[in-house]
Amino acid sequence: MSKTKKSVDECKETKNPELDLVDRGISAISEITDLMSLRHLTRITLAHNKIEVIPPNIADLSNLEHLNVFNNHITELPITLSTMPNLRILNVGMNRLNSLPRGFGAFPSLEVLDLTYNNLSEKTLPANFFVMASLRALYMGDNEFEYLSPEIGLLKNLQILVLRENDLVALPKEIGELVRLRELHLQGNRLTVLPPELGNLDLVGSRQVVKLEDNPWVPPVADQLQVGMSHVMDYIRSETYKYLYGRHIAAGAPPPPKRIDRSKKISRKGQQHA
Amino acid sequence: MVRGNLTESLPVSLGNASCSRCGEGFGVKEPIVNSGGEVWHTKCFVCAQCFQPFPEGIFYEFEGRKYCEHDFHVLFAPCCGSCNEFIIGRVIKAMNNNWHPNCFKCELCSSVLSDSGFVRNAGRALCHECNDREKAAGAGKYVCHKCHAIIEDGHIKFHAETYHPYHFNCKNCGVELDVEAREKEGELYCLRCHDKMGIPICGACRRPIEDARIINALGKQWHVEHFVCAKCEKPFLGSRHYEKKGLAYCEIHYHQLFGNVCYVCNQVVTGDVFQALNKSWCVQHFACSLCDIKMGPKTKFYELDLKPVCKKCYERFPGELKRRLAKAFKTSPRK
Repeated sequence: MSKTKKSVDECKETKNPELDLVDRGISAISEITDLMSLRHLTRITLAHNKIEVIPPNIADLSNLEHLNVFNNHITELPITLSTMPNLRILNVGMNRLNSLPRGFGAFPSLEVLDLTYNNLSEKTLPANFFVMASLRALYMGDNEFEYLSPEIGLLKNLQILVLRENDLVALPKEIGELVRLRELHLQGNRLTVLPPELGNLDLVGSRQVVKLEDNPWVPPVADQLQVGMSHVMDYIRSETYKYLYGRHIAAGAPPPPKRIDRSKKISRKGQQHA
Repeated sequence: MVRGNLTESLPVSLGNASCSRCGEGFGVKEPIVNSGGEVWHTKCFVCAQCFQPFPEGIFYEFEGRKYCEHDFHVLFAPCCGSCNEFIIGRVIKAMNNNWHPNCFKCELCSSVLSDSGFVRNAGRALCHECNDREKAAGAGKYVCHKCHAIIEDGHIKFHAETYHPYHFNCKNCGVELDVEAREKEGELYCLRCHDKMGIPICGACRRPIEDARIINALGKQWHVEHFVCAKCEKPFLGSRHYEKKGLAYCEIHYHQLFGNVCYVCNQVVTGDVFQALNKSWCVQHFACSLCDIKMGPKTKFYELDLKPVCKKCYERFPGELKRRLAKAFKTSPRK
């Protein structure tokens, strides 16, 4: 009996609502015998396997609250995921996603969505992506976004937004509508200015984190960042900065060049282009 | 101005007399009008304005001419600024107008001002008392509704009027009231008695809560609009509040400030709380964010995007990511 089969049987017997199948060399979910009989499951963790496809019938596990397929070889997600009524945490980080299915944003109760380390960009997000009103954390670090949709402002419950190491050249002013935001990761992008509306948010405090490092900031912002985050926030609220920002946008200077070499990313494996 | 009265002339022989108006002599039997040592034909003794005989023989003389009462008034008599009637006799000239002595009154209390004098106040003629009162009110002072004197020190309000407190006594203990007096159900009480009657005092403004709606929270009572979040100062207005160290917070700011909401289950942590990476966890929910392996308070872990990562998962990271993370770690500012 394989180790995986043993784990499933044990889970079935003990009615354990959580199933860990980490690093078992699984290449397809269909290999996991009897998985679909575990209707009581609330969490499945399949991290560090070689899964390429999540079958649509995963949605039959209707009690599932937490699905983790971190570090697999997934290139596409089934649209059925978005219909799972209890799914709260979805980790599809470190896979090979170039796009998300149409209608992906329909999740009724998703709270944490981890898309870290894939090949996603604003061009490949479905139209309804930002309707996930229940979302409190959105991890999109290590992707290829150049722009963030103004619809980000719809995610009223968002507390954590990670856009580390993308290709962002600008942020929409609507980011200032995320009133509950307390973690904002923007390091390693191509940002030169911050929208003054970001100053509407309370991002300075012991429970708030804003990461701005490693961006080609305009000198005044870079100078304030040297002294500290609270100085940046004070500065972008000033009339001086609003004027400077307006001028900067009106000038329409070309964005700084891309700086991140993604050719070695494992999310790109199996792709023709570098 | 002379007011004349026609004296009944007697047929005296005035052979060489001539009429003061026309200069002609008089016929033998012709009646002669005699007034003030002058004589007239009856037809010549008329008003200088309307040439009519004087009614009832009453005329008024001005600069040598005689007028009937009506024309004299029309031409020369002043008009009263109050009743619009002609003024005969004493004329009060004041406020750019003429007045009958009894018509010139204080605009506020209507006392006659002709002999007591007046003060001009904002285009009004006022008696001295009213003027003082107006000045006091203008300077923010109240006037006692009972004695009408200015309240110099402190007033109390009772039935929407202001009073010197010393005109009243406490309904309960009888003590003479001071400015601390309070009204309850139409009666006045001293502060001591008032407080003893169990009227709730708002924990924020320290004033009594007369409103039927009272918030009971934090062991105190509050005006509905004064029970507010300690951070954003918005009233809860019935929405849920969270308490911490004797202060109340709205949901957003409580979690923002004290945030003991488990990152995994999204519930307020009731038991022991595990805090790291700007987040909190229920102790049993603290796990590697990549492989979900449970970690204890002593387990060493790494972080990626402020999420905990166990050693095993970190070591599995592709080399290029590890290099980037190491570089970012070196250049990131220390807190």
